[in-house]
Amino acid sequence: MIFNYITSVILIVLGLYTVCAKRNLIKIVLGLGITDYGINLLIVSIGYNNGGTAPIYAADLFNIGGTAAFVDPIPQALTLTSIVIGACVDAMALSLVIMINKRYKSIDANEIRRLKG
Amino acid sequence: MNYTHFPVLSVMGLFLGGFLVEIFGSKNKTVRNIIVMLFTTVSACLMLYLTIPVFGRGEVISYWMGNWEPVGGHAIGIGYEIDGLNMFFVILVVLTYWLSAVYSIKYMEKDRHLGHYYTLFLMLAGSVLGLVCTGDIFNLYVMVEIMTFAAVALTAFRNKKGSNLEAAFKYLVIGSVGSGFTLTGITLLYMQFHTLNMAQLASLVSGNMTPVSVLALSFMFIGFGVKSFIVPFHTPAADAYMSAPTSISMVFSGMVNKAGVYGMIRLLYMVFRVIDKSAIQIVVVVFGAVTMFIGVTMALAQHDFKRLLAFHSISQIGYVITAIGLCSLMGMTSGLFHAMNHTLFKGLLFLCAGAVLYATGTTDLDKLGGLSKKMPKTTICFLIGAFSISGLPPFNGFASKWMIYQAVYEKAVVTGNFFYTFVTVTAVVVSVMTLASFIKVTQAVFFGQAPKNLANTKEVPFSMRLPMWIMSALCLFGGVFYRLIGRYLLIPAGQAAFNITNYIDAMLGESTAVSASVTNVSMDLADGFSYWNPIVWLVIFITVLIAVCLVLIMGSGSRGKVLESGKDAAEDGKYSTFFSGEKSEYSHVAGSDLFWGFKHNWRKYFGIMQSVHSGNINDYSLMTVICSALIVIVFTVIFI
Repeated sequence: MIFNYITSVILIVLGLYTVCAKRNLIKIVLGLGITDYGINLLIVSIGYNNGGTAPIYAADLFNIGGTAAFVDPIPQALTLTSIVIGACVDAMALSLVIMINKRYKSIDANEIRRLKG
Repeated sequence: MNYTHFPVLSVMGLFLGGFLVEIFGSKNKTVRNIIVMLFTTVSACLMLYLTIPVFGRGEVISYWMGNWEPVGGHAIGIGYEIDGLNMFFVILVVLTYWLSAVYSIKYMEKDRHLGHYYTLFLMLAGSVLGLVCTGDIFNLYVMVEIMTFAAVALTAFRNKKGSNLEAAFKYLVIGSVGSGFTLTGITLLYMQFHTLNMAQLASLVSGNMTPVSVLALSFMFIGFGVKSFIVPFHTPAADAYMSAPTSISMVFSGMVNKAGVYGMIRLLYMVFRVIDKSAIQIVVVVFGAVTMFIGVTMALAQHDFKRLLAFHSISQIGYVITAIGLCSLMGMTSGLFHAMNHTLFKGLLFLCAGAVLYATGTTDLDKLGGLSKKMPKTTICFLIGAFSISGLPPFNGFASKWMIYQAVYEKAVVTGNFFYTFVTVTAVVVSVMTLASFIKVTQAVFFGQAPKNLANTKEVPFSMRLPMWIMSALCLFGGVFYRLIGRYLLIPAGQAAFNITNYIDAMLGESTAVSASVTNVSMDLADGFSYWNPIVWLVIFITVLIAVCLVLIMGSGSRGKVLESGKDAAEDGKYSTFFSGEKSEYSHVAGSDLFWGFKHNWRKYFGIMQSVHSGNINDYSLMTVICSALIVIVFTVIFI
């Protein structure tokens, strides 16, 4: 379990590093995506119970922290929502990059800076 | 009438309208306008009807989606809840999107693909309305994401111009980083408490700050900080406000950043209930003070009308954040009052900027001038907005800023902390600089001499002027009848922010809060809405008068010298002793010429600021991430 948390933190930090350090706009979008995946992994991990089954009925769903035999289904629903949102954001970011490339003839962050000061 | 359904009907109505307008209205202009006006008006009326039970009878409206009511005090479904604070923000939101919809009809008519525009517009309106109504923290996150998504798309709507796309991309990157932090914070909360309901979280977290909760608090603080554009995270705001169509800039400053402020209030006052710690108060007030100062100084250096207004918008949010960080009822009411006034006067100013853009085709302050003869009605509206934001009586900005000064100074007296005195002085100085900056805009755009190419400028059509007149009237109303607004709107809303047991009980059933031993946030100062004292006012006026006289006396000796040493003085008439002895016939004092002495003296500061606002998205993200790390460290030090 601890491995999941460590991986998710590594993914989030890697994503943020990519956003901060890479000058290519597509790489920045990929960085945002990696951050999202890290967060999604974190969300899925918190609902996991070792040896838990699928949550078919909710008899002891609220028996938290003890011997609940089910995997908590809410984080999975949250992850689905988060994945959908992340995909939309990535799609829009990439379409913006296409348009920026048409107008600026470049996708280098150092050249995309007409708005400053 | 069962009015508990109204919030969800309004929110869903706006989303439904967004899809209908794309299906039926993308070709036909009349159908499109009818759909947009119908859905915005109906949802606004439904929400405004709720003021009767909420403010009139003091009820708290709670609504469970699909009737999934809580079982044994454990919330299962998604709940909507409207208490005084929610209702206050709902009023701001419905007012903003309704006026913006009216303005859009004429303002946007020359653009193509208006079906898409209105789809995104209604999505933005619905998401912000949902954000301020919801009682579920994950629903809040989803609404924040829809809001960011629609806002980014609208920023890039006029995609012929490359800089608009650039602004949208920057907004998207910084906004997504902020949303990511929010979601991580929510995850960390769910991990510990296994609930997403804000009322239940409040009853569980209260006084239970584990290290993971501290991390969750700092992440969500960063998230809502990005959404309300407080200073280290403000960089995309200036670009986005400038690039978006003006009807959308007004929506951004009117409700999108207010949504961030709302999230901040709920976070600090209710979900974590940490605002009564004095260290947290100081952190929030520092953010507010830095935001207002950097915002206004950056505004002084701008050459573009809308970008200047954008930096003022950031600066005014600084006032609101400062006031809500005080944890006194006076601070809360003054902060809310200023948030409301900011919606009105900044919306008005953006609409005036839009009218100028519509009439002349540019917002560059150095290319405009002398529009007061061509567009007298817009000029009057602009002056009302400029007086309000600069805090001149009897406009609303004066009343709320005065209350903020009083609230901060009272805090300084009560706590004996010199820091708050310093913040009071900063707030006054920032207000003076705001006035200076608006003198510059007024001179550069509306007065002075008109360039020749603006000779055929005409006044804007009536449907664009109508929202401007409504907002001007409300600005004046707020300044004259502030007692009325205070009694019926601000005091109930401010008390609701502190009265969290009421919120929890309304959501989860009677006496939940008592059994969870949650207490209300204690207010340092009991009086909620004290008013400006005429004697203090007089003293301030005399002080200002003396200062003006001193400046005049001290300046009279050196005036000639400065002008002689200016090397442009001989070549261009505009640098010689104001207007006498000018050589050229056309001698308009453009926006960037005013206050050049001030800017010259502060050139080091402005140099640093220019290099910080480098326009590079990597720099902006790095700034965001570093400041986020600092926030996490500070919060950890405070609690552990």
